[in-house]
Amino acid sequence: MAESKKMLRVEISRFDPDRDEVPKTQEYEIPVQDDWKVLDAINYIKDEVDPSISHRWSCRMAVCGSCGMMLNGEPKLTCKTPLSDYDETIKIEPLANFPIVRDLVVDMDGFMDKFRKVKPWIVRAKARAEDMEDLNEKGTFSQSPDQLATFKQFSMCINCLLCYAACPVIANEPEFIGPAAIALGHRYNLDSRDEGQAERNSIFRGEGTVFSCSFANECSEVCPKNVDPAAAVNQAKLAAVVDWAKGLVLPREGA
Amino acid sequence: MTRAAHPEAMAPPKKGPTRTAPPRMPGSWWGAPRIRTYLLFGATGVVYFLAGTVVLHLVWALGKGPDAWATVMASLSHPLYLVFHALTLISVLFVGIRAFGTMMPKMQPRGGPLPVLAPGLVRGLIYSAWAALTLVFSLILAGKIGS
Repeated sequence: MAESKKMLRVEISRFDPDRDEVPKTQEYEIPVQDDWKVLDAINYIKDEVDPSISHRWSCRMAVCGSCGMMLNGEPKLTCKTPLSDYDETIKIEPLANFPIVRDLVVDMDGFMDKFRKVKPWIVRAKARAEDMEDLNEKGTFSQSPDQLATFKQFSMCINCLLCYAACPVIANEPEFIGPAAIALGHRYNLDSRDEGQAERNSIFRGEGTVFSCSFANECSEVCPKNVDPAAAVNQAKLAAVVDWAKGLVLPREGA
Repeated sequence: MTRAAHPEAMAPPKKGPTRTAPPRMPGSWWGAPRIRTYLLFGATGVVYFLAGTVVLHLVWALGKGPDAWATVMASLSHPLYLVFHALTLISVLFVGIRAFGTMMPKMQPRGGPLPVLAPGLVRGLIYSAWAALTLVFSLILAGKIGS
């Protein structure tokens, strides 16, 4: 790799829970290479300049969703963002709208709690004889490529939480479940193997769920995997209303 | 990030053992191009509210008789009203394009009996219906049909 003499000023938000009341900014001047991503610059600072910096990262290939941060005020994956996008200065901060644990690390427990609420797993109404026959025969539930295509886009979410950092509703309405969780809930609603739609739709109709979304579309703009959570949230709105209307005129199963 | 977000934004259900700094949000959102579009979209509500009051004023004048109606119609050609009409037209076009051209195509229900159409096709159908309705109403208002 060729050496480069290009220097970059990196401003990093620092917060030590034992000493600081609020985050402060620390500046570093580092030599950078043309092919670096932003994460490489943070790792360089941690390895060579200041080992006290805390940040999350893992895969370095935009799959694990760990390294989401605010770069000059925009939520981005640092492993996917080329450093060459920034001329002389880059400001790196923890994801917006999350409590800050330390430096660039945010507390994700709030998200995990919201995530669990939408039951992001396949729900079967009850263990049935035909389920077991299907499983015994094929080893899995069968699904056609067309059925997979219905929800595949929404299953590409890596829970990087950039959408939460971009969402203006999340910043102001703590009850809002948020884009990624709703997109994943909707993904399971569209899954041909799932039978939990009524349960999820009733959750979606509750307080702080799909109807809190004002369709700012910010979540889809910043999504690094083109999941388009805004589409999922607004499809979920329609599905939740249709499900509610059906409930008014059709008898519920088992009723 | 210069502004405080809601202190409970994305708060964990139970407080952890470590003290955390309260959530922040970018203070530059008002200046960010994407948010600017979204805010403008919402701000057009003010224009529709004003347009609604104009319509109510017209209905009131209609009830008062031909003279009142003629006076109100004449006042609508005032330069300030013309600016307002232009603003209303721009607002309608902006909201129409953003809501029906950009957002509606991706709201198509999936997994139901209806096929999911290509976004371009949905956009084309919506714009065609929009143009046809505008034409019909324009012809009615011009007295070419229905009179």
